[in-house]
Amino acid sequence: MIKGTGKQTIRTSGKLFKLFLGLSLIASLFFGCTQDADNGKTRIHFVTWKANVPEAWDEIFRLFKEEHPGIEVITETGPHSSTAFHDLLTQKLKNRSTDVDVFLMDVIWRKDLLDRYRLPPPRTWDQMVVQAELITEEEKRLHNADFHGFSGQFKQYEGLVCNMMEYILSNGGHILNADTGKSGLAEKEAIDAVRFVRDNVIAKIAPRGVLTYQEPESLDLFVQGKAVFHRNWPYAWGVSNNPERSRIAGKVGIAKLPLFEGNQSYSTLGGWHAGISSYSKNKDAAWTFIQFLTSEKIQKVIALKAGKAPTRTSLYNDADILKSYPHFKDMKDVFLTAYPRPRTALYPAVSNVLQRYFSRAISSPDLNLEEEANKASREIEQILSLEKQAG
Amino acid sequence: MNRVLFYIITFTFVTLSILPFLWFVDTSLKSPLEITAIPPVLIPSGTLSSYSSAVKEYNLLHFIRNSFIVASSTTAVTLLISIIAGYSLSRLRIKYKGIIMGSLLIVSMFPQISIAGPVWKIMLHLGWLNSYQGLILPYVTLTLPLGVWVMASFFRELPRELEEASRVDGCSHIQTLFKIMVPLAAPGVFTAAILVFIYAWNEFFFALLVMTQQTFQTLPVGIALFQGQYTLPWGEIAAASTVATVPLVVIVFIFQKKIVRGLSAGAVK
Amino acid sequence: MQLSLQARERLFGYTLLTPCLLFVIIFAFYPILYSFYLSLHKIILSLPQLGQPFSGLDNYSALFQDRIALHSLRNTLIFVFFTTVFEILLGLVIALIINRQFRGRGLVRAAVLIPWAVPTVVASQMWRFIFNDKYGLANFLLFGSDTSAYSAWLANPVTAFAAIMIADVWKTSSFAGLLILAGLQVIPEDLYEAAQIDGASRWQQFRRITLPLVKPAILIALLFRTMDAFRVFDLVFVMTQGGPADATNVLQFYGYKKIFAEGLMGYGSTISVLVFFISLLISIIYIRVIGTGLFKE
Repeated sequence: MIKGTGKQTIRTSGKLFKLFLGLSLIASLFFGCTQDADNGKTRIHFVTWKANVPEAWDEIFRLFKEEHPGIEVITETGPHSSTAFHDLLTQKLKNRSTDVDVFLMDVIWRKDLLDRYRLPPPRTWDQMVVQAELITEEEKRLHNADFHGFSGQFKQYEGLVCNMMEYILSNGGHILNADTGKSGLAEKEAIDAVRFVRDNVIAKIAPRGVLTYQEPESLDLFVQGKAVFHRNWPYAWGVSNNPERSRIAGKVGIAKLPLFEGNQSYSTLGGWHAGISSYSKNKDAAWTFIQFLTSEKIQKVIALKAGKAPTRTSLYNDADILKSYPHFKDMKDVFLTAYPRPRTALYPAVSNVLQRYFSRAISSPDLNLEEEANKASREIEQILSLEKQAG
Repeated sequence: MNRVLFYIITFTFVTLSILPFLWFVDTSLKSPLEITAIPPVLIPSGTLSSYSSAVKEYNLLHFIRNSFIVASSTTAVTLLISIIAGYSLSRLRIKYKGIIMGSLLIVSMFPQISIAGPVWKIMLHLGWLNSYQGLILPYVTLTLPLGVWVMASFFRELPRELEEASRVDGCSHIQTLFKIMVPLAAPGVFTAAILVFIYAWNEFFFALLVMTQQTFQTLPVGIALFQGQYTLPWGEIAAASTVATVPLVVIVFIFQKKIVRGLSAGAVK
Repeated sequence: MQLSLQARERLFGYTLLTPCLLFVIIFAFYPILYSFYLSLHKIILSLPQLGQPFSGLDNYSALFQDRIALHSLRNTLIFVFFTTVFEILLGLVIALIINRQFRGRGLVRAAVLIPWAVPTVVASQMWRFIFNDKYGLANFLLFGSDTSAYSAWLANPVTAFAAIMIADVWKTSSFAGLLILAGLQVIPEDLYEAAQIDGASRWQQFRRITLPLVKPAILIALLFRTMDAFRVFDLVFVMTQGGPADATNVLQFYGYKKIFAEGLMGYGSTISVLVFFISLLISIIYIRVIGTGLFKE
């Protein structure tokens, strides 16, 4: 279903050209700047993250070369954080990125601890907070150690927007109304969710240091056995269970993100995107490569070799994959509840406003949230009005 | 008493200066789990895996090569231009010397951001983003003021008589410059070279804008972006940092006197 | 005859200067003017259909209402002030130390020069690691293995800003020291000998001889450090990305984000222009104070 939408988006990218652009915050894959090579081959540039498992990509490029000898792929590696990567894309390519696939996130926890305290996996955020407090208190009393209830990503960067969106959406709120172009930040649901994070998570169940954490730092805390719950992307599961990287291998449980009572759980969509630059001279070749990347065959290679969640729903029942990554079976649910971030050509500017607002809101305990949210809403609407002017 | 105080202060400064760096060297010799251990572990297990991984998986040598190409080309071009310009400004009777020297000084004060957008646009236009010249040209511009100032002040110190003798012998200006003046001002050339090289080796802002392909990225950009989407490889970052820094520390150690002289040239008199 | 010789010399002189001036004009002065031109237009890289409409001083009036820009300006000035003051003070001490004759001076010199040789990006990564809330050296030195007392330095607006300033002071004090040392070395020894004969104390010698004579060098160091601190970027980029809550955002980083991340080429250029004029103003003031000896013909 989702991949279908992706295809559609790409094929109509001419029309979308005016409307949508950097919809993916963590655009993982990107094509741009294509040109004809001297050797008669069509050359495409492939902009991506620095691979965590380069072998998987070596194999993918090898397979692609076999199937499409006429296309030469040149890889450009993007900077580390989502933010910096976005900087690169906007700066270099003025891209129109279109999403093909989704990526998803989940919460993982110390199964051994929850079992020891006879607690079920938390269904709501409130339950998670209560459990985290209970376990932390006991563990601290028993071991007198530095121990925390939760770790996530709350540094002022793109990941903060993803984290905060999950709380807001699972409280029935929204960030941007796609139809009216109005910001929903100042509505009660959104404010309550932000307040919840500020009052119950930051410097409470989570250490104050989460305000400086991106994915790696937050995972470090978890794999050192210093936290009960951890919110991250699926790769964290593999790392947590790798005895060379983790002190808690084999003691980890996983499920979709909690919610606020009476609402639905949401994951932020974004991450596994591939797009074609509207400036690309070889859109067909780029499209061939995207089709190849998103094919079942290659998604399986990525899942097996790099531990990334596949983007084809059918693969969640694949025996080989489930053998290595049993949790993927449950993740199909998470996958289907994923929700996209706002779509606009000026996303980077909107995102910076959001990052700024969220960072201020959760790091200053006595801030007037309504006032700040209204300010941020006005700024966002002002940015979006630029786009309307441009038509 | 005074003496004791002096040694205490000296010891404090030395410790503060080297401790952070030593800590990073220490980190480069730890295993991943030791690096993120809470509380920190002091004694490393001595593994060199961070170094081999920095070289093999993070293309360290490749970044070093790029940095070397960019830094040495910048140095060569800047020096050549600085020598002739410095000679002209210090030894020839031309007008507007003050204005020229002053403008150069102001260029050396430019915050990069004030020219970043246009420079990026120029490079985009020329198709020189992700090319060595795309970085070398701005670097030459930004290091020229330093080079010219150093060269001019060294030339100014040389006795006029030598030059006049050479002119009487029938040498042209340009012959005089390269046969007589440059060899005599060799320490100045050398100082300028070191300072320009260090600048180009360390610069980050323009390198970040111009080099978006790993193929061309220099060491600072490489080290800043070692972090992957999901990994923060402190061991590799520390290893690469050590490798990037040691050559400079050696250069500074050997040539400290010359550097001091170059920096003060012209300014403090 | 005489005249033509001089004319030829002049022509030759300008020829030698041409390459230097070409570089400076193409890659420094032209871009400044171009920044100014861009700042008068509405240019959004991600909305090319917008074109480049002339917008007069709109961007400037927006700039002066942009609270983040003003906040970044304030941060930048605070950063410049504190780092420069500390760097000059510590630089003076460093210069006095390495100017003295004692055993092992070579090693001490090399040691205090290490921070200067370390690339700024490396220094930034180093200090980010040192200030890590869980496995950082700073916490370990202060609290030992009492991990519950560990503080998240980079998570608190005040301490995060202080951390960046500490990193900068560490990195560049020795450079200030080098410049001041150059000034110390030109003070003739016999001045001190004469003072000693007159019975002046160490402190008096420092106050009456060293300080006045080293003043030009200190001013030079002050000039270089101020201008360099004004363009702080690497530290912020690597250590905090401007967070938390913009507590560590500075002008050069903000401008970079506006132009290259958000694609607001027109608006971002107003920041470029603002930064340029402020730094021009500061350098003119300094040069006035230092005197025109620098430009003697």
